[in-house]
Order: sequence, then structure tokens, then C-alpha cells
Amino acid sequence: MSAALRYGLLSAGRRRRALVLPGLTVAAGAFLLVLVVALMPAVRRAGAAFGDAAAVGRATLVISAIVVLLGVLEVAITATRSIVQRVREIGVLCTFGVPPRSVVCALLVEPVLTAALGALAGASAGAVVAVAGTGAGLIDASVAAGTVAAGWGAAVALSTVAALAVSAAPAWRAVRRPPLASLTS
Amino acid sequence: MTQTATRAPAVAVQSVWKLFPAGDGVVHALVDIGFTVDSGEFLALMGPSGSGKSTLLHLLGGLDRPTKGEIHLAGQPTTGLTESQFSALRHSTIGFIFQSYNLIPFLSAVENVELPLMFEPVDRASVRRRATELLELVGLGHRMHHRPSRMSGGEQQRTAIARALIGAPQVVLADEPTANLDHRTGESVIGVLEDLCRQLGVTVVASTHDAAVAAHATRVLRMTDGRIAPADPPVSQ
Repeated sequence: MSAALRYGLLSAGRRRRALVLPGLTVAAGAFLLVLVVALMPAVRRAGAAFGDAAAVGRATLVISAIVVLLGVLEVAITATRSIVQRVREIGVLCTFGVPPRSVVCALLVEPVLTAALGALAGASAGAVVAVAGTGAGLIDASVAAGTVAAGWGAAVALSTVAALAVSAAPAWRAVRRPPLASLTS
Repeated sequence: MTQTATRAPAVAVQSVWKLFPAGDGVVHALVDIGFTVDSGEFLALMGPSGSGKSTLLHLLGGLDRPTKGEIHLAGQPTTGLTESQFSALRHSTIGFIFQSYNLIPFLSAVENVELPLMFEPVDRASVRRRATELLELVGLGHRMHHRPSRMSGGEQQRTAIARALIGAPQVVLADEPTANLDHRTGESVIGVLEDLCRQLGVTVVASTHDAAVAAHATRVLRMTDGRIAPADPPVSQ
């Protein structure tokens, strides 16, 4: 399996330009999620003015999670597009007798890595902005380190797991095609 | 005492049929094909488009299955093999050369040659050495780190030949290996393939409609309408 991971990393490195946009989308989602989680006390306080602080807090959190999932969807679309573009490569690998599980593993490296790196960057930026904004007095709330860390972890884990989940099916479908169909497509 | 060694042919095809559904009927792509290829032979399958050459090569490589009949590769029957068993057999026994090269665009020439062994738990340095040797043998020692987009068609096909041979296969299947090349480049490529396979004792089965390719073969089978055409009668002395 390590050989498949090595091949996946090699291809992700060589194809990195195609991964910038989905990575940025995931990063934006993770940034928002961490910021919202960190600033939840302030959001709740502001929400209290509208009558239901908990409901406003929940709605804000859900919206942030949706933004993260939109980022993951972008990763999934990119993964599917990339698999379509790489169908001949998949056919060649299968023709030369590379086991399907290894091919799937290699194909999954790209979307998972994109989502993980995008989420890491976005979530870290979100944490920095939340802490710095509070410290500078720009944000009217106290930000607990534990809350920021929880938001950061949730954003990275959600993005990575969701990217893995949504990319596995197209990758598996691609390797289950007869090699001849992949080679002649 | 004289011992007679009985060695299985590299390829044995027995009464193979391939039918494809077409509308309400069927197309007889291959009809009762039978032949053997001995180890080290260079067999050219010649015939016009649609004569069944490529279909036959696909069956030999396990990329498709015969409707009826039996194919043995390196003495091993292939009927009844599961896809993963056939995949393992392909990996250990067969090298492929395609008409359109099918090199991986983001890999360099030497990485493309290494591709069939990239997923193996083998010593990377020895694979790199072997890939380098093969690229030098096909005359591409100076193009080792070039990507396919920066190589000519002839160079790409020579890279594909090196890739087909990296796993030390017993049989190389070449589907119209010169069809995308001009005559002179095609001649040079097929010469490289012939020389290398002779040196390494590899059996070659190549489909072609190019008489120049067939001229390099040790034997030619002519195909028409899914059948092997009867051999020309020997010229009477």
C-alpha cells in the first residue's frame, strides 16, 4: 500500500495546479467554520437581541458547516473530473496488472490531500484571525483556546473524511471498468 | 540417451470464437481461431481493419474473454481465471505496447518505464537501474527525464517498448505499434522491438497492417473477417 501512496503523492505533486481551486474552496469553508465556532459566545449574545440566542448560534454553525461541505463538494467534483481525465492511466495500470485496491488508493491521495491541506490552511487562518481579532479588540468576545482547537479539529476532520467518502465511489467505479473500456475511452 | 524436452508454447490458441451482440444479431469477430506461438518467436497478425487482429490481441492479453475456446499463456490455461488472477498473470507474463503509446503524461520517460513495477515492494534503485538500461537500449539515454509531451511519437513508442519489457515478460503484445508513426520511424521502432526481444528471448505477437512490420516477423498470420486465412502454398521448386 505504501507504493500506492507514493504513486498518489507523486501524481498529486505533478498535478498540483489543478488542485489549487478546490483546495482554496475547502480552506474558505474551514476558515469560516473555525471563526464561527470561536466567536460563538459573541454570536449567541448578539442573537439574544433577536430573542433566541441558541437558535441563532445553531443556524450560524450549520451555515458554516455547509460552507465546509461545499468546499468538499468542490473537491469531490474535482476528484471525479480528475478520474475522468485519468481514465486511460487507470486502464494502463490495470492492463499492467496493478491490483485495483492499489489503484484506488493512489487515486484517493489527491482529493484527500487537497481537502486536508486546504482545511489545515483555512482552519489555521481562522484560528489566527479569531485570536488576533479578539486580542486587538476588533471582536467583542473572549475566545477560549479549547473552543478554537475544537473548531480547528472539526474543520480538518470533517473536510478530510468527507473528501475520502465522496471520492471513494468514483475511484472504485473507475477501476472496476474493464481495462479495455478505459484504454479505448 | 537423447532427451526430448517438451516445452509448452508461449501462446496457444485453441478453437477461439468471439461474438459481439449487434442489434438483434451477433457479429462474429473471431471464428474458430487456432494457432501456437513458440517461445522467442515474433508473430505478426496481418489483415485489414475489422479483420479481428486487435480483438485477438485483447483476448491474448486477458483484456477481453473469448466466447468459446481456450487460450494458454506460458503453458497456463486462462479459461476460468478471475479478473484478479488474470491481472496477476498479465503482471508476471505479458508486456503491452499500444498504438497510441498510452504513456502517463505527468511522468518522465524513466518513470513511465518503471510504471509496471511502481506498485511492487521491490528495490527502487534496482528498478531505476533496469529502466535506465532499457531506455539506453532503445536509444533514449538522453531523454530519460523528458515528459511524453516533449518527445516525438517514435520516442514515445520506444519508451513504451522499454515499459513493456521492464517486468521481464515472456510475451509482448503489440497492437499496431507503428500505426501512428511515419514509415521511417516505424521501421526504426520495430527494429528496436525485434532486436530487444531477440536479445531477451521474449515472444512477440504484433497486430499490424504494415508490411514493413511483418518483414521483421519470424511468422505472419493473415486474418480476414475474423478467420485466419489459409497460408500461401509453397512455391514449387
